[in-house]
Amino acid sequence: MVNLTIDNRQVTAPRNATIYEAAKINGIHIPILCHDNKLKPFGACRMCLVEVEQMKGRQIPACTTPVTEGMIVTTSTPDIIKARKLVLELLLLNHPLDCPVCDKGGDCDLQNLSYDYKISSNRFHDQKFQHKIDYNNPLIERDMNRCILCGKCVRICDEIVSFGALTFIGRGIETKIGCEFDEALNCEFCGSCVSVCPVGALLARPFKFKARFWAMEKKRSICGYCGTGCNLTLGVKEGKVLTTVYDENQGFHRGQLCVRGRFGYQFINNEKRLKKPLIRKNGALVECGWDEALQLAASKIRNGSETAAIATPRLTNEEFFLFRKLMKGIGSENFDHAAGYAHKALTSGFARSLGSAASTAMVNDIQKSDMLLVIKTDSYETHPVIGFEINIAVKDKGVKLNIVSDKNGKLGKLPGARTFVHLPGSETLLINALCSSVIKQKLVSSTAASLPDFKEYAKGIEAFSPEKAASLCGISPEEINSLAADFASSKKAMILFPTGVAYPGHDSELATALANLAILAGKVEGEGCGLLCLPEKNNSQGAVDTGFYPTGKGLDALSVFDAIEDGRIKTLFLAGENPVVSYPDEARIKRALEKLDFLVLTTLFPTETAEYADLVLPASSYAEKEGTFTSAGGHVQYFAPVIPKAGDSRTDFEIISSLIKLTGGEAASNPSEIFAEIASTLDGYAGMTYENLGENGAFTAVKTRPALILPQTQAPALRKPEEFSLVTGALLYHNGTLSQFGEGPMHVSPESYAEISRKDASRLGIKENDTITLTSDSGSMQLAARVSLRIPEGVVFIPNHFSANPVNAIWSGKPVTPVALSR
Amino acid sequence: MSEKDGIKILICQGTGGISMGAKDVEAAFVRHLAEKGVDAVIGKRCDIIKTGCRGLCANDVLVDIITPEQGRVTYDFVKPEEVEKIIDEHLVKKETIEKRKAKPYYNQFVNAQMRVVMTGCGQIDPESLNAYLEEDGFKAIEKCIRGMKPDEVIEEVKKSGLRGRGGGGFPTGTKWSFCKASPGNHKYLICNADEGDPGAFMDRSLLEGDPFCIIEGMMIAAYAIGCDFGYVYVRAEYPLAVQRLQHAIDICYEKNYLGKNIQGWGFDFDMRIKMGAGAFVCGEETALMASIEGFRGMSRPRPPFPAVRGLWGKPTNINNVETFANVRHIINRGADWYASLGTDTTKGTKIFAVTGKVKHTGLVEVPAGMKIREVIYDVCGGIANNRKFKAVQAGGPSGGCIPAEILDTPVDYDSLIKAGAMMGSGGLVVMDETTCMVDVSRFFLNFTRMESCGKCVPCRIGLKVMLDILERITEGRGEPSDIETLKDLGIAIKKSSLCGLGQTAPNPILSTINYFRDEYEAHINDKRCPSNCCKELLLWQVVVDKCVKCGACKKACPVDAIVWEKGEIAYLDKEKCTKCKSCYDACRFMAIE
Ligand SMILES: Cc1cc2nc3c(=O)[nH]c(=O)nc-3n(C[C@H](O)[C@H](O)[C@H](O)COP(=O)(O)O)c2cc1C
Ligand code: SF4
Ligand code: SF4
Ligand code: SF4
Ligand code: SF4
Ligand code: SF4
Ligand code: SF4
Ligand code: FES
Ligand code: FES
Repeated sequence: MVNLTIDNRQVTAPRNATIYEAAKINGIHIPILCHDNKLKPFGACRMCLVEVEQMKGRQIPACTTPVTEGMIVTTSTPDIIKARKLVLELLLLNHPLDCPVCDKGGDCDLQNLSYDYKISSNRFHDQKFQHKIDYNNPLIERDMNRCILCGKCVRICDEIVSFGALTFIGRGIETKIGCEFDEALNCEFCGSCVSVCPVGALLARPFKFKARFWAMEKKRSICGYCGTGCNLTLGVKEGKVLTTVYDENQGFHRGQLCVRGRFGYQFINNEKRLKKPLIRKNGALVECGWDEALQLAASKIRNGSETAAIATPRLTNEEFFLFRKLMKGIGSENFDHAAGYAHKALTSGFARSLGSAASTAMVNDIQKSDMLLVIKTDSYETHPVIGFEINIAVKDKGVKLNIVSDKNGKLGKLPGARTFVHLPGSETLLINALCSSVIKQKLVSSTAASLPDFKEYAKGIEAFSPEKAASLCGISPEEINSLAADFASSKKAMILFPTGVAYPGHDSELATALANLAILAGKVEGEGCGLLCLPEKNNSQGAVDTGFYPTGKGLDALSVFDAIEDGRIKTLFLAGENPVVSYPDEARIKRALEKLDFLVLTTLFPTETAEYADLVLPASSYAEKEGTFTSAGGHVQYFAPVIPKAGDSRTDFEIISSLIKLTGGEAASNPSEIFAEIASTLDGYAGMTYENLGENGAFTAVKTRPALILPQTQAPALRKPEEFSLVTGALLYHNGTLSQFGEGPMHVSPESYAEISRKDASRLGIKENDTITLTSDSGSMQLAARVSLRIPEGVVFIPNHFSANPVNAIWSGKPVTPVALSR
Repeated sequence: MSEKDGIKILICQGTGGISMGAKDVEAAFVRHLAEKGVDAVIGKRCDIIKTGCRGLCANDVLVDIITPEQGRVTYDFVKPEEVEKIIDEHLVKKETIEKRKAKPYYNQFVNAQMRVVMTGCGQIDPESLNAYLEEDGFKAIEKCIRGMKPDEVIEEVKKSGLRGRGGGGFPTGTKWSFCKASPGNHKYLICNADEGDPGAFMDRSLLEGDPFCIIEGMMIAAYAIGCDFGYVYVRAEYPLAVQRLQHAIDICYEKNYLGKNIQGWGFDFDMRIKMGAGAFVCGEETALMASIEGFRGMSRPRPPFPAVRGLWGKPTNINNVETFANVRHIINRGADWYASLGTDTTKGTKIFAVTGKVKHTGLVEVPAGMKIREVIYDVCGGIANNRKFKAVQAGGPSGGCIPAEILDTPVDYDSLIKAGAMMGSGGLVVMDETTCMVDVSRFFLNFTRMESCGKCVPCRIGLKVMLDILERITEGRGEPSDIETLKDLGIAIKKSSLCGLGQTAPNPILSTINYFRDEYEAHINDKRCPSNCCKELLLWQVVVDKCVKCGACKKACPVDAIVWEKGEIAYLDKEKCTKCKSCYDACRFMAIE
């Protein structure tokens, strides 16, 4: 700690604090405009100038100057006030000052500071700026006339987002912020720049003229898309969510969001939301009352042995817990989520290898680690804000980054990052080879060596020596050895890998292989160490924790469809899931749904699956309900409703609760009681209550019991030379199929495509946007081609989000689907 | 260089020389010497040596011929077609062509100087390692490595009193000791050769004329501090400097004066040239480092200082070209010798680039502390065109002016600051009575505000506001409060700007207000430009009692607005006049107002 004097007060501050931080800690306010505690010191605006006794004659920027022992600081002298007023006068000189029509009004630092410093007139006169406003993209309006050149947008896009879309252009008074070559903005559209802009120079276009800032209520919530668990503040007026509001103090991510969280909120108030229950009469879905609907549903599911339920991992923990009760109550063991396989890495892989179906690392370990081993560069796209954490770790904290992936991607462009591009589907094999190499290089930790199953495991894994694995995974033995050594000899290292319906290869075997690697290297637990599974949806981890998956003789999600076809299952209860689009092999799903006696569906929207339903129940979105989500790394967070329920919709909690009653069961009728039950039955949640979760949430307790188990590993089927390996995956702009109802994501990523390598494209004479035909064993489809540098030869990548032209027309659900490709 | 044996023909091939045709002159010498078989005729070898700039580029192509009989004779303005005659008469007949010899002022220009840093410049072949070695090249670094501990080298430099020549005048030895004290096993050394100050070209001349001495200076610094890698940041507009330096670096690598285990002395040093982005602000050390890192040249806050967190976050020492050029002389001749030159607070010599209204513009190296009057009158021959001296702008576009009253100010860091100017990179712009001080301020400010990197508010917008006010004043729309507003703004901008550019840009205005307030007042109150310089304020008439009826104005006027007959006083027809100022410039008698 350092002792100093600020405004005649003796204060202390941490050694590397700036004057601004020292003042803030001690409750002394210094005005700022260009400073942001997430970004590196910049010192551009000169609003934070103070006087320092030891540096007389100059005015010292508080935001960049570190404190030193004995420093004597005065934060506002007449001279300093004068300097700040001058800064404001100068900034306002060419500024349009069109506050009445500026969406930033009321939330604008320039406006507020001008008010604070009473800048009611300007000694100087000049023309207003005449920059053209950039309306070239649908999400972000760039009005450089209002820009005060604080550089925050440039810095956040570079330092945290690591995209680098923006830059300073020009010199002197002509300086402005632009994209390279002054072109229109075309970027990730994460909106980080909009969030940090202190003025109305960068604005969210979907929010334009929607509401004055002060007229909105700002309400906390949790993002309902991916498993990162970002906190949100929603701007609400008249029962509608109108925007997301930046709160730099919120969450581990300090208010940062990705394009989905930032611009994808519109699905909540989407026109297409279902408002009334629909019942199929004479072949058509017609509106009906809730009583009728629930009675019918209850009567149909009552015969539990012929009933199955599949839920989306977007339900709350309370809903899953209740749902499980319902199913048990009616005597059905057939309940599952996430296509039945996307959770296996946790429920089977981690469960057997680590002793519990949970990650051993948390998101905040990322920046504390020495080395990250990321499986699939797609981790950035699946969990973008975790991607930001990786960016910061690598660029700021010097954390090493190694990526094992079937394609290249953004993460691999980070400084010093190495990407090992393996043959599609060979990830488990490659990880086995790394394990074998760790043993060969004698880098095994003592705890691993003393495990009872070590000897047997070590013998079994010999079959995967780097030399043997090399040709099967496409990575040389030298590279495998060097990566293995790098991982094992780093003091701290952690493994990250995404799971989800689009990543069937990320299964129990891969999870076990990864667990083995961590166990062998002694990196299972501890700060900056461990395994972090990045589950696809906002409550994928919660669905696992609450046990909403089959055990014993219960059918898993895909087996349910088999059982429907052979008549064992007659009634299906789908909660939020849209398997017609998102599950493998569309034709087979449709066949089964057609065969069902009764399909009841809770859903926000009239989806493709609803077309097969006999009863459609309008569900409420997360913004309309209360509950908890558990995100990657076991972060349990509470959220309250921010708006009234859409139309006559009901929460899944209410629906399930009614069904329990109607089927003769009993259950608590509000989420907080159910959460109390969760806390008292699930070890990991012990002691949690809504009250003590508070704003920061809590982490589930994880007990580990490492075991070395030889994964069942199949070498990927070698494709025939003329065939392509189809792999699916997530896009940055989407999560599942839900984001299709958020206008923002659809503005920038409206439709599917097939991405192929440049080499293949030129060999086949395919150009960008050409229509190509893809055929697999299960079907055929046409898509626009996208030619890219990141895809290896022989691979075709298709995103799995789109209802129009869905990839499951040809996708088998195996890690790799062989397809024929023609023009 | 011994002047006894052999015959040496030194042809200036600095940028100035080359632009005046030095290559053709050299070719002519080569051709004629060969054709005439001069070596055989006179029984001696004639060596043609291309040298760097010697400071009086206005007189290029400069050719020195050194023979045992005639000693050193300098010919100036040499044209290729004269070469044959020079060979015939000077070399063969051994008769100096008196008429073509450089005029006495050339020798005065040279002799009134004191050349330490520029000794090699203009004398040796900058492309020859041997020539450098003959001049004790790399003796200083050898002496350091073999006989001195790094700390002793720093001590020696401290003792010499050397201060940075890049403008700030920070004591060089102290700067080195800071960087040495910074923890880290990887440190960078940077030579700042951005030289963005318009009119200054001493760094360019040093790089062009004596590149090995910069390399050696950097090696000594690197040894003292513990740097293993050096960058020379040269502005892209200096192609010849880049070429010569690159050539020198290549030779040094080839001959193991750079690279690993240099000369077996157990010292490693690598260096590379980095071409600048052509912005003035890139000379500022933090902007320069940003530029090397591949970012836009934009200044960064200090602290952290480069010595702590510099290039790519590593401890970095940055010095100016001329600073490095001093180092080997300090080591070779000793700190005491060096400290004996100059004044109490400014040791050694300083190179100035004198431009403007003096008779002989050019580069001059003088001992620190010489009076400005001596520089202007004794070295540079005084004011051109018999006009009256008004002021000299010292320190480049962000320096200040020194009026006639204090012309005896010595050129050292502290005296210049006290006078409201600064040493800067060593630019001296001399102004005479026809120069309007308001207009000059406007000119300099226009430069700095265009070069502002645009990062911080006071500099980006404040300078523009000041410029607007100055423009108004020179156009006759000034208001009485303007002077105070300018002062107020100027002081505020100096105090609150982020980097040296903004912190100094108001200097010309503040210093001209200080010394020439009456000129501002005349513009504002009387709408009159006392120097008859601001176009909008000229009366556009002939002053009858000053006119000597010479008619120069009539010849100069492109639109026939001057009525003049031989023996008559000229008359200016305002109807036709387009205010181009040609007549004003043409009149040597200040008869147009
Ligand atoms: C706007 C600006 C421009 C500068 N340009 C140069 C330059 O062209 N060359 C230079 O050596 N120093 C320049 N400097 C000074 C450098 O920042 C730095 O102080 C200097 O290179 C240090 O070297 P020295 O200690 O040898 O003087 C400039 C400073 C400012 C503020
Ligand atoms: S940016 Fe701020 S000051 Fe400017 S118009 Fe908008 S609200 Fe007003
Ligand atoms: S939206 Fe995101 S990616 Fe695009 S410019 Fe802004 S910060 Fe960069
Ligand atoms: S656009 Fe906004 S964030 Fe970017 S520099 Fe301008 S004011 Fe700052
Ligand atoms: S989609 Fe995921 S990463 Fe993006 S804001 Fe929501 S929770 Fe965060
Ligand atoms: S003072 Fe001028 S040049 Fe320096 S950082 Fe500020 S704007 Fe840029
Ligand atoms: S040039 Fe000057 S002196 Fe000569 S005629 Fe014109 S006004 Fe008279
Ligand atoms: S807040 Fe410190 S300079 Fe902008
Ligand atoms: S270049 Fe010839 S004297 Fe300067």
